[in-house]
Amino acid sequence: MQKVLTKKSLPQWVKKLLSYTIYTPVEEDDHWNFVATDNPEDINLDYPLTTLSPKKIIFPQREIFLEFCDSTEGNPEVKEVLPAEKSAVIFGVRPCDAKALTFTDKVFGGDFKDIYYWKRRNQTTLVGISCNTPPYTNCFCVSVNGSPYSKEGLDILLTDLGDKYFVETYTKKGEKLLNLAKGLFKSPTAKDKKDLEKIRIDSKKKIKRQIKNIKKIPPKLKEMFDSPFWDEESMSCLRCGICTYLCPTCHCFDINDEITSSSPIKGKRIRTWDTCQFPDFTMHSSGHNPRPDKASRLRQRILHKFLYFVDRYQNYQCTGCGRCISLCPVGIDLLEVLDKVRDYGS
Amino acid sequence: MVSLEDLKKEAKQILKENKVKYIIGYKKSTNGLMPVPAFIKEPEEVEKLVWDPTCVFNLTRYLVDEKRRKTKEKEPDERPVGLVVKGCDSRAINILLQEKFINREDVYLLGVSCENTGVLDEKKLTKKIKGEKVKKVEFDEKDNFIITTQEGKTKIPAKEILANRCLECKANFPVIYDVLLGEKAKRSIDNPFESIEKIESLSTEERWTFWKKQLDKCIRCYACRSVCPMCYCDECVADTISFAVTADTTAEEKAQKIKWVEKSPVSSENFIYHMVRAIHLAGRCIDCGECERACPLDIPLRFLNRKLEKEAKELFGFEAGFDPDQPSLISCFKDEDPEDFIR
Ligand code: SF4
Ligand code: SF4
Ligand code: SF4
Ligand code: SF4
Repeated sequence: MQKVLTKKSLPQWVKKLLSYTIYTPVEEDDHWNFVATDNPEDINLDYPLTTLSPKKIIFPQREIFLEFCDSTEGNPEVKEVLPAEKSAVIFGVRPCDAKALTFTDKVFGGDFKDIYYWKRRNQTTLVGISCNTPPYTNCFCVSVNGSPYSKEGLDILLTDLGDKYFVETYTKKGEKLLNLAKGLFKSPTAKDKKDLEKIRIDSKKKIKRQIKNIKKIPPKLKEMFDSPFWDEESMSCLRCGICTYLCPTCHCFDINDEITSSSPIKGKRIRTWDTCQFPDFTMHSSGHNPRPDKASRLRQRILHKFLYFVDRYQNYQCTGCGRCISLCPVGIDLLEVLDKVRDYGS
Repeated sequence: MVSLEDLKKEAKQILKENKVKYIIGYKKSTNGLMPVPAFIKEPEEVEKLVWDPTCVFNLTRYLVDEKRRKTKEKEPDERPVGLVVKGCDSRAINILLQEKFINREDVYLLGVSCENTGVLDEKKLTKKIKGEKVKKVEFDEKDNFIITTQEGKTKIPAKEILANRCLECKANFPVIYDVLLGEKAKRSIDNPFESIEKIESLSTEERWTFWKKQLDKCIRCYACRSVCPMCYCDECVADTISFAVTADTTAEEKAQKIKWVEKSPVSSENFIYHMVRAIHLAGRCIDCGECERACPLDIPLRFLNRKLEKEAKELFGFEAGFDPDQPSLISCFKDEDPEDFIR
């Protein structure tokens, strides 16, 4: 479905959606973040990239699986905890971040369907915003089969046409949101469609960063497992969690029992994010660590994204959002690393 | 301003004479404004080096990696590592020496003075120049930065774009070095604890609200810990595996291992992590500000460390990083120390 919505009517539309939990990008201190709001005036679609992607809503950093209590010896009570039943709408999702969810969909939707993930995923409607100008200096979606107006993973896509938004819906979930405020949406004129076309062509051209010949990278990586390249490239890496925790496609997790009382034993089983960049990620209980240094950890990050994932799901596990590049505290540049990989030994 | 050519000359010299195994300095980044760490092995590569007020990172942190690497090598190269250090970075060297984490002969220090200025805060600068590409950063006599972009030159008062740590820097020239480039000239500051006094003036409730809001943002990416030259423990209480498992460790011992901090990023755990870290840095933090710079969520970590720095100064007359032979704050006491119960 194609419609237009005047910018002035945006809050009126949101007002009709207040039975949902509404998320919007909000500026906090010096960065942007998705925050729940019940004030329709808060919706802000003119923003750079958020530091944390909407992954944090669908796949939260902390998820309680179950609660246990062993008050009667040998007969513990275990209570499953599921995400609350509450539909949500996320406004202002960037196309790269929505596409990232189509990857986590595959990971959490294989033979084993992760109910925690799917519950949130299914009850959330994603309203995207096209990137008419790249919101971030290190955007490169176009190089990894994406685009600044990609619809992958989105229910609705808005495109800023000046005083109005061009509105496209791709799913039933999306149409439902429009139907809740039917009167506000008008049919687009021929001029609106022409404007949209022009904005789209321009927006792609504005993306400055790129990887050339990306297809050469996976086969190259296959031969580079034992290469000294990784030692060189990882010299400055600090082994922190930034590049992975902030990546919209990274999805590794850990499960721990967190004890809140020792007598009687009471606690919660909790899933939290984890990352291949932490030394204890692969630490065996014997003390042996098969990925003992930062070279092997950087290699893992790159190989997972540009080789293993490609083998398994026929796509790069990267949507070109640029977060890992802009936010790495020592400026490790994924694109530079990939350029070097492609040209390695030639 | 220190001339880059002088720095390159010194660097080339020590590499040619085989005095150092490699040099850690700064080079241009491919992706942004701030230069990135450069590991220079050959005299020809010296051309890559850069030096100007955008050289923010504290490179002493890499001595921790160097030490770890060296312990694994069968026949380690015993030559020192060449290191470019600013004033704050050099104070970190003094702490590592004081704690005998490194020996003086492990490093060859190319000291560069910030000469009345300091380094830039990337976020503050980006706001001023609104996304333009910076070509050159200079400093004039009148406390202004001159920023050259493709649009031309802009003059910005230093105060508006200096990194917060530089606005309160105790000595913006190296206090330990093998070669010193530039003058030992200090920027005049009115009150070295200005920023922390604002927080101190809040009521207990206001402070609680402030810190709860800030620390609740923490995602425990541990960038603050990873970037810090003083956070060199092989095992940190914040990690899941916080005790050594050997062949003799029993299953029971493993089961009973103490978990100091849970992995959940919730208020209680985030507070413990940050409190432990702050206390472990009392009398050690030299205010390079790297933890705060690295934090992707802009948590004002310097306030925690600065508060303890202020206490150390007021109660014990202690200042970290100026004297490698000084006993460390936590492991010594003097007769005149104020806490009577210690004796
Ligand atoms: S590449 Fe950068 S962000 Fe990633 S672990 Fe290393 S230092 Fe941290
Ligand atoms: S790898 Fe980096 S650029 Fe790619 S999706 Fe993840 S954070 Fe974004
Ligand atoms: S860098 Fe920031 S978000 Fe990461 S652990 Fe430290 S305080 Fe938390
Ligand atoms: S605590 Fe922060 S400011 Fe202090 S030495 Fe460590 S990184 Fe630098």
